[in-house]
Amino acid sequence: MRPISIVFPVIALVATFVGVLASAGAGADARTHVVSIENMKFSPDVIHVRAGDVVVFKNRDLVPHTATAKTGKAFDSGILQSGGEWRFAPKHEGTIRYACAFHPMMEGVVIVERP
Amino acid sequence: MKIIVPLLLSASLASLPIYAQQTLNDAQIAAIVVVANQVDIDAGQYVVAKTKNPDVTRFAATMVTDHSAVNKSAVDLVTKLRVTPEENETSRSLKDGGDNNLAQLRALKGKALDRAYIDHEVAYHEQVIRALDTALIPNASNSELKALLIKVRPAFVEHLGHARHLQASYK
Repeated sequence: MRPISIVFPVIALVATFVGVLASAGAGADARTHVVSIENMKFSPDVIHVRAGDVVVFKNRDLVPHTATAKTGKAFDSGILQSGGEWRFAPKHEGTIRYACAFHPMMEGVVIVERP
Repeated sequence: MKIIVPLLLSASLASLPIYAQQTLNDAQIAAIVVVANQVDIDAGQYVVAKTKNPDVTRFAATMVTDHSAVNKSAVDLVTKLRVTPEENETSRSLKDGGDNNLAQLRALKGKALDRAYIDHEVAYHEQVIRALDTALIPNASNSELKALLIKVRPAFVEHLGHARHLQASYK
C-alpha cells in the first residue's frame, strides 16, 4: 500500500480525536451551584465555582430579594419574587461580592476560578 | 391561657410599652399580624413620598414591599384556614399607635422626619419581634399559622438591623 493512502485517514482520525477532546473541555464538566435565599440569608454565602459553571439563586423567602454585584456589573438578578429563581454563568476569574438591593445586610461572595 | 402582651400606645421615642393581660386565639393573632404589618406599610408609604434621603427612601420602600408580602401571605393563609381575624385589645392598640405615629410624622419634615421615622422603626421592630417571641409564636394553635410566624421573623430581624444601621449613621 502506498504511504499516502493511509496518511489522510490517519490525519482525519487525529483531527476527530482532537475535536472530541476540545468539545468535552468546553461544556461537559460545567456544574450547577444553587444558592438558596432563605431566612434573609444567601446560603451558602460563599461559593467557589469555575468559569462556565452555572449559579442558580432560588428565593425561598416570603419577601422579594435580588442578587446584585456590589461593584461593576458582574451580575444582577433583578427582582426575585418569592418562589422565583435566576441563573447566570460567570465567565471570568475573580471574586464577586454581592448583596440584596432591598436588604443590604444580606451579602454573599462568588469566587470564580479558572476552568 | 392568659398571655402578657406588650402594647405600644405611642410612636414617640419617649413612649413606654404598657402590658395588659388578655387571652389570644388564632383569630386574634391573625388580626394582630395584619394590623402590625399595615402600620408599617402606612408609615413607609408616607415617608417614601416625603423624604429626600435616598437611604431612607430605600428602607421605607422595602418596608412597604416586605410587610405587604407578609400580609398577603397571612391573609392567604387565614382565608385558606377559614379564620376571620378578630379585633382585640392588642390589635386596637397597635392601630392607635400607628395613627399616632403618622400624626407625629406629618408634623415633621427634612432630617427631623427621617430621624423620627427611623427611630420609630427601631423601637417598633423591637416590639414586634418581642411580641412574636413571647406571645404570638408560642400561642399559635394552628401549625401553619405558627410556621408562618416563624418564617417571617427573620425578615423583621433584618429590618431591625437595617434600621439600626441607619440610626447609627445619624449619631
